[in-house]
Amino acid sequence: MEYTPIWSGIIACYLFLGGLGGGAFATSAFLAWRHPEAVTMRKLGHWIAPIVVIVGLVLLMFDAKAGLHNPLRFALLLTNFGSVMTWGVVILAAFVIVALAALVLDLTKRRVPMALEIVGAVLGICVAIYTGCLLGVCKTFPLWNNALLPILFLVSAVSTGMAAVLLAGVFKCPEEFNRVGVLKKFHFCFPCIEMLLVAALLFITATNSTAGLASVQALVCGRYAVVFWVLFVAVGLVIPTALETKMLFFSPKEFEESRKAHMISAGSDIGVLVGGFVLRLLVLLAALPVTMTVAWTL
Amino acid sequence: MARYGMLINTKKCIGCYACRTACQRQNGLDPTDSFIRFEEREVGEYPSVSVEHVPLQCMHCEDAPCASVCPTGAAHIGPDGIVEVDQGRCIGCLYCMAACPYQVRNRNEKTGAVDKCRFCNVSNYTSGTEMCSCVTACPTGARIFGDLDDPDCELVKEIAATHAAPIAGDLTKSKVYYVR
Repeated sequence: MEYTPIWSGIIACYLFLGGLGGGAFATSAFLAWRHPEAVTMRKLGHWIAPIVVIVGLVLLMFDAKAGLHNPLRFALLLTNFGSVMTWGVVILAAFVIVALAALVLDLTKRRVPMALEIVGAVLGICVAIYTGCLLGVCKTFPLWNNALLPILFLVSAVSTGMAAVLLAGVFKCPEEFNRVGVLKKFHFCFPCIEMLLVAALLFITATNSTAGLASVQALVCGRYAVVFWVLFVAVGLVIPTALETKMLFFSPKEFEESRKAHMISAGSDIGVLVGGFVLRLLVLLAALPVTMTVAWTL
Repeated sequence: MARYGMLINTKKCIGCYACRTACQRQNGLDPTDSFIRFEEREVGEYPSVSVEHVPLQCMHCEDAPCASVCPTGAAHIGPDGIVEVDQGRCIGCLYCMAACPYQVRNRNEKTGAVDKCRFCNVSNYTSGTEMCSCVTACPTGARIFGDLDDPDCELVKEIAATHAAPIAGDLTKSKVYYVR
């Protein structure tokens, strides 16, 4: 039987933007701690975080048609605390408030207290994990119903958040971009960890059920194989890792600070962002429900 | 309090879809919307082959994943254990559709809200109101409705006699039993 995914592009955007926003704020907090001189870049993170999360939430409201037609029903979102989505609403609301507070402090030229940075970073990480848990609790889909997915989404979220801040930074403040070496090294690590997590997720899902195997097949050799290998693995993980390896470990400092190197970094960051979105989209589209009597196919 | 349930004997089911049509009429659904979906598969090996028709619908689970994930409380377990969707509370996030392992929930394209089998047989069972339900529409009598806590009712006797079981074991404590 052919299966039509319940969620697709809009929800993928929301999961991607939620993680990106959380990761961007965490990146700003990291900059405040480790690179306090990179003021402009930190402020860029404070801009990106609330904007992308709010865009994601608006997309979500448009997708929830029955709520869009009766907006008062959105108030009911706080009624079932047994639901991961309800927790998500609370976490997202808290995160948006903290992120907007940091932005207002920046705009009014006041100092953002370290405590606020830490609270925002923790909430940002919670948002990222929530996007994985939202899918993870659905026993229906073996590709989602495992403990690796929230971790994978978290790693991808921090990776895309850092990529967004670095990408904005390389154009807005290249001088600061040259001096955030520790951030760049962390940013380099995440796609590597992500590769391990994706491999583990696919191996385990492929062996836990027929639906799990069919989902993995759809990704690695079926309907979504081209997107998976080209846009996710190559563009999103391998090429950025290769470029960053070259830049961080095998390039003279003069080249690293040249405009050409900046453009290469920008390209690598765009790759990470593309990969982050494609990961969410593929996880939504390739998930097949457990079999009752006849296996589902894509 | 009753604990309503149903028995579906797939050995009697001929795959005519009369139950689905009756349900659509009963609940005022569009032809594209339905609360019953069919899985059909070949069983056995040549030359002893047959087609098994398995009608699936809301299992009115006691451990209902739809109700536990629903963020607004629209999907909930109502009186007599019937899983219900309060159409006035549903925002259409479709989380329940993702959580339901049986994939038997239906999004109403007009309202955007989610709906599914309402166990409308209850009114027939309790008050004898004649209605065009899936049970009465079935030409082969493949469906029996009743109270799982009433040892004297036909449903309980038939489940015991046929060793009927939920379609997916104890996955969600389903109250729809299958003979296969």
